Amino acid sequence: MDVKRQQKIVRPAEALPGGTPIEKAPDPELGHDLIPAERYTSPDFMRLEWDRLWTKVWLLGGRSDDIPEPGDYICTNIGKESVLLVRQQDGSVAGFFNVCLHRGNRLVPEEGVGSVAEEDGVFRCSYHHWAYSKTGKLLHIPDRETFPQGAPPCGRVKPIKVDEWGSFVWFSMNPDVEPLREYLGVIPEHLDPYHMERMAWTRDITVEWDCNWKASVDAFSETYHVQGIHPQLKWYLDDVNVQYDCYDKHNRYLIPFAAVSPRVALPSIIPPLIAGMMEAAEMDPAEYEGPIDGIREALQKHKREHGKAQGKDYSDLNDEQLTDDYHYTIFPNVSLNVHADDVMMFRQRPHPTDPNKMLYDIWMFELVPEGEKWPDRPRHQHFKHGDKTIGQVLDQDAFNLPHVQAGMRSEAFPGLWLGEQEVRLRHFHKTLSDYLYGHNGPGEGDL
Amino acid sequence: MDLGLKGKKAIVVGGARGIGYSIAELFAREGCDLAITARNDDSVKDSVANLRKYGTKVIGSGCDVSDADAFRDWMQATDEELGGCDILVPVTSASGGTGSLKYWDKNFAVDVMGPVRAIDAVLEGMTERGEGSIVLIGTTSALEAMGGPQAYNALKASLITYGKQLALAHGKDGIRVNVVSPGPVEFEGGNWEMLKGAMEKFYNSLIRKHPQGRFGKPEEIARCVGFLASPAASWCNGSHLVVDGGFTDCTHF
Repeated sequence: MDVKRQQKIVRPAEALPGGTPIEKAPDPELGHDLIPAERYTSPDFMRLEWDRLWTKVWLLGGRSDDIPEPGDYICTNIGKESVLLVRQQDGSVAGFFNVCLHRGNRLVPEEGVGSVAEEDGVFRCSYHHWAYSKTGKLLHIPDRETFPQGAPPCGRVKPIKVDEWGSFVWFSMNPDVEPLREYLGVIPEHLDPYHMERMAWTRDITVEWDCNWKASVDAFSETYHVQGIHPQLKWYLDDVNVQYDCYDKHNRYLIPFAAVSPRVALPSIIPPLIAGMMEAAEMDPAEYEGPIDGIREALQKHKREHGKAQGKDYSDLNDEQLTDDYHYTIFPNVSLNVHADDVMMFRQRPHPTDPNKMLYDIWMFELVPEGEKWPDRPRHQHFKHGDKTIGQVLDQDAFNLPHVQAGMRSEAFPGLWLGEQEVRLRHFHKTLSDYLYGHNGPGEGDL
Repeated sequence: MDLGLKGKKAIVVGGARGIGYSIAELFAREGCDLAITARNDDSVKDSVANLRKYGTKVIGSGCDVSDADAFRDWMQATDEELGGCDILVPVTSASGGTGSLKYWDKNFAVDVMGPVRAIDAVLEGMTERGEGSIVLIGTTSALEAMGGPQAYNALKASLITYGKQLALAHGKDGIRVNVVSPGPVEFEGGNWEMLKGAMEKFYNSLIRKHPQGRFGKPEEIARCVGFLASPAASWCNGSHLVVDGGFTDCTHF
């Protein structure tokens, strides 16, 4: 690799009991074939994804603490569908399609969080006031006697599977889907130690991006692009000593933060972004006397020593999790950067009709120190590609992706030519292919 | 023009990297015997090995100038091993920073007391020999506001004042003291190389303020220091030379 120096990154030999596993997973045998570009642009492939992926898997729906009371609901869309995830009297969450059986109107017109508690727990279609229960059961049809054929025989809106894990609500449109825990595989074991339930919303943004949803998943699955489009991060993280782990469906990388990339010479002063990390942990960069390449471990030690007094319980996290970025992809479309003090989560949704577009949801959460008041939930914002800044690093990603999507349509570009640092992309595409075509892969004429 | 540096004995404090290394290299190339130090012993050893290619005597070891006793011992031992010191250039700096009072302690210990102690250690010998040349390193940040109110700018300014006082006091003993204030200087592993990546807008805004559209190079500072340090600059005493490619707005009357 193109490096200026060798850097030794210390990782604990083993995880704490019950902590996030650290050991490297065996490298999967995924070959070296290119990933066909048409998978990013073809309406046929998009339909295949709808039929065999989106309607079959568990999907991230929202945040559990957005719906604490019976009757609170999350309305979220996936592709052409919209679903309602509703807190029940017994504390569980039930879900059903967001559609009125009468004329097809959406029961809830827009995505977001709401409550029917004040409507006696009834979803009432705004068109003709057909009424449904918190589980989607049809309760009332005005002028019922004017429907000689009776009410729709099923008596309810089609239900969906719903479950909760990790302070999030998940749903599946597949009635035969495996239990959520089974689907999530290693993820709960890996992420429970972060206690995301102790973190509060800080940003809730949806941006329409001009690229296929997979181009976005790809972009967040490797650190190879840091030296390309995020040059400033070379003085923040070590993009060379990265550990890649592929599990059953899901995968991750571990990237040291508070470290300077071996791609550049070690500076003699503390880089601003690293100083910012130290300040956030109430560690004065001016007091630090050690070498620049000793900051990562010093910061881990500092947080270990002072976390408790700051109301931050890091006791379930391994030392390196106090500084480093553990980045997971929960198949198919959730990318999350998990840190001891915050989580940056991206939900990458297909556009309802256009393979060249997607919805990019940015969900950010921050650890609320014990005893401190939870901040108000930020308002959900929705805007188009490039309309507003979403922060320097994400702007750099966002700027790049429409050009990637444009190039995908070129006849001179057969497909993605991936290297070892992009093994998570290969793994993601293999899992996708398994869902679409089964384990034997695409057949003759398949994309 | 012959600078007359051949055979002189020079000490560069903070000479392992960047501007300091370039100054040390110029002295070695011009035929000076040389001693360097810096905080990191490994990088001093690497630099000493590199500097020996010019064929003069080059010695050096790591030393933290903010450790008063250790630095006094280093200066004393070095002066003896080198056989005296004709030229002293203390370059060492803790660099800038805002937001913590601790920077005042650090910059005072390294940027101010580093040079002050180094000068203190060589003055007697220079006075006895009746000749000596000292070049202090200021900064254009002492002359014009830069990067927010901070200890680095204010304490570097004190060196400009102190240099003039030394020049007046010791000129009679054949000791010249001059100051060079560089503008931003970029080199691999330097702060500006990092800020170019890490704070691109700030970096570019400063590049635009440079008439030639670039920052200085270490060797461009070193040549000016080398001249002022050399017998060729025999009538320069108490001078303050700004070397910034025209970056600063003010007129240096």
